[in-house]
Amino acid sequence: MASLALDRSSPRRMSEANRHELAELNHRLEAKPAARLKVENLSVTYATERGPFYAVDDVSFEVRPATNLGLVGESGCGKSTVVKALMGLQPDTAWVGGQALLDGDNILGLGERALQQIRWSRISLITQSAMNSLDPVYCIGDQIIEAIRAHERVSKSVAWARAEDMFALVGLPASRLFEFPHQFSGGMRQRTVIAMALALNAGMLLADEPTTALDPIMQSQIMSRIRGIHEQMRRSMILVTHDIAVVAETCEDTVVMYAGQVAEKGPTNDVLKLPLHPYTMGLQNAFPRLPVRGEPRQPLISIPGVVPNLHTPPKGCRFAGRCPFATDKCHSEPPPLVQVGHQSATCHYVDRAAEFRVLAAQPNTWRKTKAEA
Amino acid sequence: MSQIIVSDADPIKGRSVLGAMGQSLRMLMTDNFAVVGVSVLLAFAVIAIAAPWIAPYEPFKAMMTESGRLNRLDPPSSLHLLGTTSFGNDVLSQFLHGFRVALLVGLVAAIAVGLISTIFGVLSGYFGGYVDDALMRLTDIALSIPTLPFSIVAVALLGPSIENIILVITVLFWRNGARIIRSAVLTERERVYVKWARAAGASHFHIITRHILPNIIRVVFLWVTMSVAFAVLTEASLSFLGLGDPTVISWGQMLNTAFSSGNLRTAWWWVIPPSLALVMLVSSLYLIGRAYEEQTNPRLRRR
Amino acid sequence: MNTLMTSDHRRPTISDHTSPVVVARDLKTHFQMSAGIFAALTGGAVPTAKALDGVDLRIREKEIVGLVGESGCGKSTLGMSLVRMYQPTHGQILYRGEDVTKVEGRRLKDYRRHAQIIFQDPYSSLNPRLTIGQIIEEPLIIHGLGNAAERRQKVVRALDLVRIPAKDNIDRYPSDLSGGQRQRIAIARALVLEPKFIVADEPVSMLDVSIQASVLELLDELSRELGLAVLYISHDIATVGYICDHVAVMYLGRIVEEGKAEDILSEPLHPYTQRLMAAIPRMDLADAPQRHELKGDVPSPMAIPPGCRFASRCPYATELCHAVEPDLAACLGTRKVRCHIHDDRAAAEYPHLRRPKQDQVTEMADLGVLAEVAGSRHG
Repeated sequence: MASLALDRSSPRRMSEANRHELAELNHRLEAKPAARLKVENLSVTYATERGPFYAVDDVSFEVRPATNLGLVGESGCGKSTVVKALMGLQPDTAWVGGQALLDGDNILGLGERALQQIRWSRISLITQSAMNSLDPVYCIGDQIIEAIRAHERVSKSVAWARAEDMFALVGLPASRLFEFPHQFSGGMRQRTVIAMALALNAGMLLADEPTTALDPIMQSQIMSRIRGIHEQMRRSMILVTHDIAVVAETCEDTVVMYAGQVAEKGPTNDVLKLPLHPYTMGLQNAFPRLPVRGEPRQPLISIPGVVPNLHTPPKGCRFAGRCPFATDKCHSEPPPLVQVGHQSATCHYVDRAAEFRVLAAQPNTWRKTKAEA
Repeated sequence: MSQIIVSDADPIKGRSVLGAMGQSLRMLMTDNFAVVGVSVLLAFAVIAIAAPWIAPYEPFKAMMTESGRLNRLDPPSSLHLLGTTSFGNDVLSQFLHGFRVALLVGLVAAIAVGLISTIFGVLSGYFGGYVDDALMRLTDIALSIPTLPFSIVAVALLGPSIENIILVITVLFWRNGARIIRSAVLTERERVYVKWARAAGASHFHIITRHILPNIIRVVFLWVTMSVAFAVLTEASLSFLGLGDPTVISWGQMLNTAFSSGNLRTAWWWVIPPSLALVMLVSSLYLIGRAYEEQTNPRLRRR
Repeated sequence: MNTLMTSDHRRPTISDHTSPVVVARDLKTHFQMSAGIFAALTGGAVPTAKALDGVDLRIREKEIVGLVGESGCGKSTLGMSLVRMYQPTHGQILYRGEDVTKVEGRRLKDYRRHAQIIFQDPYSSLNPRLTIGQIIEEPLIIHGLGNAAERRQKVVRALDLVRIPAKDNIDRYPSDLSGGQRQRIAIARALVLEPKFIVADEPVSMLDVSIQASVLELLDELSRELGLAVLYISHDIATVGYICDHVAVMYLGRIVEEGKAEDILSEPLHPYTQRLMAAIPRMDLADAPQRHELKGDVPSPMAIPPGCRFASRCPYATELCHAVEPDLAACLGTRKVRCHIHDDRAAAEYPHLRRPKQDQVTEMADLGVLAEVAGSRHG
């Protein structure tokens, strides 16, 4: 486990005792191993005026220690719901089933006190909008040391020193710890949130679309830092995104979700280069690829139709309404999770995946589906 | 591209005003409290309209006993269901006539207030800039005027008549509404479809009537409902203070007479009906307003 | 009809002799920020946000011009200025040769018939209380065109153009439709007046990727069928590559690079464009070009630095860059770049100032400890 070689050349004068305390804190924190997370049969149902809403249905996956898992899907697939359930952020009207074992301990259905103990310390969240994590009336430094001191018994100045170290990690000057969130630009705020999430060296990081609201250049800068976290600090992470290419660059494993269920999962290379599920194939081909000079442009496809209404989920495969290869069996029987090597997909016709892949690359295949976008 | 031959050249329909109102009413009826409120209101309206016919006696007619003396302060009996006043008038008749004043004042004042508030709010919110500044400063001035002292002085100067009371209420009560409606208009004005309509060349009139007004009608309705309650209470207060129209019977006036003749504590048959009626009227308006707000503001809905 | 999706798609070449539909000439839109009372009393300078600070652009019939840049670069301001939603403060807008920059009243309304705009958010660009039919009909009512029957015909035709079945949908409400369908309604509304010029301001940014293609395809087909000139604004340079013939990259109110889409995407010349292209995530990390960290933040449009506007962040910036702002110079045929690396003229004028060179990094940005080690890849 790599420990950070930080340059303690900060001009902040610290007493001998404090320096000792800081060293001990760092030692304690850096000894924390990367977490293993096993999610088994996670389901989330919301009670609404129109009846139950089956947002997430029987989702299982595993995050191996010190790996990045990409959770990919489009609007309404349930990926944010999964993350919120893992952090215990679901409202009381939601029913959460299944279990999520973080290093063997189930973190679902915990009481408020137990949740407080694991948040920041064992599992951290980086949200889409930094303003959701940052309190506008306190300066950043105060917020970070509050998080640190909630879990570790250290003095304020030691906690502040650790906060400075965190800022150095993300490339922000330590003096800005005195500033308030509104004084930061969007990209800097996001870096602040990352610094906060790392303050206690939690074994598991959840990043919920951390770059969606940012401009492309800032996005790439944040993602490179996230990759840096991965390489240097060896934490485990779940990266939620709708962008397949981000997952390709950053994650070892991928889970593709559709309409609240897992459509496909496995090592990223396998899932993206040789997808088994027609939805993954469609999603891949819907992403614009950069033109290569001299070659004709790759056609861009669109998946017609809309996500099914999860108040009344269809009884067969949830993608059947939009799938160009769907048969009657697909509409009537829910598909099983079929394993092929390290990959698995919920589809009746996994054995024909190679054939489907060729067809899925052609726009006309998708046009023949009866659904209308 | 194929030629479309449209066989039916019907104009494009949307939701008509009546249809929208009907839909709102139906939504309202799902809330039990609102149903109570609406029923009470309807009952009051019916009584108000029918008062001259259902009142057993003339409100100001002095009632005589068999022995030829003034039938003063007679507790409820079969002859006078709600007893008589200290001047020998039948309380029931007075009470029924009071309905008319209450509803008349309420309605007229509310409409006037509603209109003025809406005009101010819309002009202010939509045009912004100097118009907004001018109108809002006017509103601020109006807001700084204390309600009761002003009413007293105004009525004293103009003379106590129903018209003057309505005028006073109108002049005073538009100010809060103007602000509320203005902020609703500000929200609507920033909508993308309004920006688009401007980009497409729509006139201000078009945007106000087509996009702004329909979307703020809820706020206006809510405000008008509240205004009716305020107006009724203000009229009752003024009458109770003796500034009411002496030729017209109102509940406030009944209470005033009861008070000034020193019988407020003893003549319960005289005091309770008007008080109760006031309470019921204002409460029912409140219930309707509250239910309506809950319907239109999703955040207030109970899960 | 669907020629876009054949594997050998090429957009039709537009001859140089086609006269442009819309031309922007040194267009500037400066916004006066409200000054405090103190400044007003003491006569201090009122801060001005120079959102759009000198753009020359032309869009021809059937052409789709892409406008790329990040937030604050002025692309939305340009789009809004071209449809006169914002009033340009300097420069000219020419519509078919006629100057429409400052027209008002009847003439402005006439221009508005021919120039329409589509916005980014399909969820708030349609009035939820009106039916689809009423929404599309509105522009006709605004301009007083036709009676009710004629309006209905045009609405049906517009719905047909955007591939939404008219009969089923004309009386429905926006809340019944999906994001992609709503965006099509917004397009139909823009088309019902039969305009010649459309500004599409990030039309697919808020849609799911799996339906973006269908809306882009629609825009492309419509531009060809109806002979529309389209200005396609986006921060996503990859989608721009798909339907645009010509691309302009903007930074802090000015165009920094311009040229044919495939040229710019495959071989960007301006350091900013290069960084934009590098930022696009690749399916294979090894395929990503070198990503230099840019220093600092985008300068505020109220305090534009002297010299090249990108110099404060550019990894190749030199003294010449900080002193002199480059012009948009022609380069390699139809391309134009605003950069001293590709433009000799300033260097000749100021020989004592060091000239920047391609790939010669002058100053590294502080990456912090966490930045990834270059070239490494997860296992």
